[in-house]
Amino acid sequence: MSSDAHANARTPEEVVQYKDKMERDIYAAISKPNWKFWAALALAVTCVGIGAVSWATQIIRGLGVTGLMNPVGWGVYITDFVFWVGIAHSGTLISAILYLFRAKFRSRFNRAAEAMTIFAVLTAGLFPLIHLGRVWLFYWLLPYPNQRYLWVNFRSPLVWDVFAVSTYLTVSAVFWYVGLIPDLAIARRIKSGIQKKIYGIASLGWTGTFKEWQHYNQLYKFLAALATPLVLSVHSVVSWDFAMAVVYGWHTTIFAPYFVAGAIFSGCAMVITLMVPIRNIFSLEEYITIDDFEKLAKLLMFTGLVVSYAYMIELALAYYSGNVYEQQQFEYRLFGDYAWAYWTMILCNVISPLTLFYRPARRSLMFLWILSIPINIGMWFERFNIIVISLAKDFDPYAFGYYTPSIVEWGITIGSFGWFFMYFLIFTKTLPVLSVTELKEEVEH
Amino acid sequence: MEYRFDDKHSFMEKLEEVFKSGVKPNDVKMVLPHPDHDIEHLVEEYTPASKLKFFTLAGGLTGCFTGFAFPSFTVLDWPLITGGKPLLSWPAWVVIAFELTILLGALASFTGMLFLSKLPRFSKMLSPDEYGNQYVLITDE
Repeated sequence: MSSDAHANARTPEEVVQYKDKMERDIYAAISKPNWKFWAALALAVTCVGIGAVSWATQIIRGLGVTGLMNPVGWGVYITDFVFWVGIAHSGTLISAILYLFRAKFRSRFNRAAEAMTIFAVLTAGLFPLIHLGRVWLFYWLLPYPNQRYLWVNFRSPLVWDVFAVSTYLTVSAVFWYVGLIPDLAIARRIKSGIQKKIYGIASLGWTGTFKEWQHYNQLYKFLAALATPLVLSVHSVVSWDFAMAVVYGWHTTIFAPYFVAGAIFSGCAMVITLMVPIRNIFSLEEYITIDDFEKLAKLLMFTGLVVSYAYMIELALAYYSGNVYEQQQFEYRLFGDYAWAYWTMILCNVISPLTLFYRPARRSLMFLWILSIPINIGMWFERFNIIVISLAKDFDPYAFGYYTPSIVEWGITIGSFGWFFMYFLIFTKTLPVLSVTELKEEVEH
Repeated sequence: MEYRFDDKHSFMEKLEEVFKSGVKPNDVKMVLPHPDHDIEHLVEEYTPASKLKFFTLAGGLTGCFTGFAFPSFTVLDWPLITGGKPLLSWPAWVVIAFELTILLGALASFTGMLFLSKLPRFSKMLSPDEYGNQYVLITDE
């Protein structure tokens, strides 16, 4: 039963009581953590430690500790970068695009999905720095007036990427914070002691007057309208990092929509990975229903079909091009040294989401949660295939190569998962995981 | 006078009564537990809509202009042909201008909201007036 259905049959006093109950239920999660939380956090921090040691090794000994070589100069780091930027995308889809489309189920997922967006972009942002090798020179990416009056090359997709990803991080953070302001004011009312003070300051002294809401509504609408083209542009720009280069397997016009669909597909899977346990642990069954998850599952199914279509088009373009380099590249993908990675991707991203055509599968949270894991893995392999396989075998047989990631690269990848989950765990214990204000607003309609 | 309502409809009836008696929305204080479009439409019959859009527009235009002007300045400041492209590579600048339009548009909107709502309001951070989930109307009478 959805929360709106609850309200319709109620008297005004009962509606107020229901709103109070909603606040209590959702803010109950912000309490002293139990040992399970600490254990999960300790695991995440350990992973971050593994990543930190690996990175330190690379900084001390140089990029030679990775498996990167000629011709495969982009490997696991860039794969991780694209993977994490992709994860970020469904957060903005849910918060901005579904807002403009007035899809009601968004209010069950938007807060956590936006948090996921920010933490995923924070994770993604590390990888270009790690990949640089000499990380202390990272500011060379930025256009700043240096002594020699040299400027960055604005024609380079890598500079576009700096602008796209940093804009994305900033706008997502603003959007998330704006949505949080009224909820922080509720926390100020409910909590006591030092917590009350912290939430009070973070709420900026929000009192909920009509004027505040009037400007707030306008702002939310504009931010949604700005974030929608932004999210489509960010993964397009990421795809152009590849598509602008004359490398077979990269140099194709379908890359922008192909990457955006893949990003939303992987992001929806990650939302399911995160939200199923949250609903269970914090007893939010009343507010996030099976129907809401089914809608998310349909989105997953749809984007999965778009991604499958893109895989087919990619092969069809290579076949139809009549270009021998393009054709050998895709033959190599399907049957070459990395065929295991290609077929893992097909199994995870094309075959496994087809199970969602079966309704009981879409409505089983256990099944959805289990399914979301291979989709996450499959989407990681999609990026690995695009990046590594295309580089491993290009024009000149003399320059063909086989890349194997080193333990340092795996260590940093494990660290990135720890880094992401560490932030997310802290988020679940410090901020409301559902947008209480929006849920209350829905009670009235 | 302070009126408290559990119900949005009785609150709106009272509001309409007060506004019809000639009181302007600016002269009363209304506190709501969450945004509400019906109340917004009612009040905006008596008071102008939010001016926030002008902040968004100004920020977006500034970003768009900067996105074209700044890369142009840098290539003219140190003319260097790269990749055989013309110095002023407008199609490439589009990406920069697009991102900056959104970045400055969003930041200006956020600043605009804070400015128009007079936030942050330090006096209310720690000891605000709390009305819970009720609709409140405070008039001068």
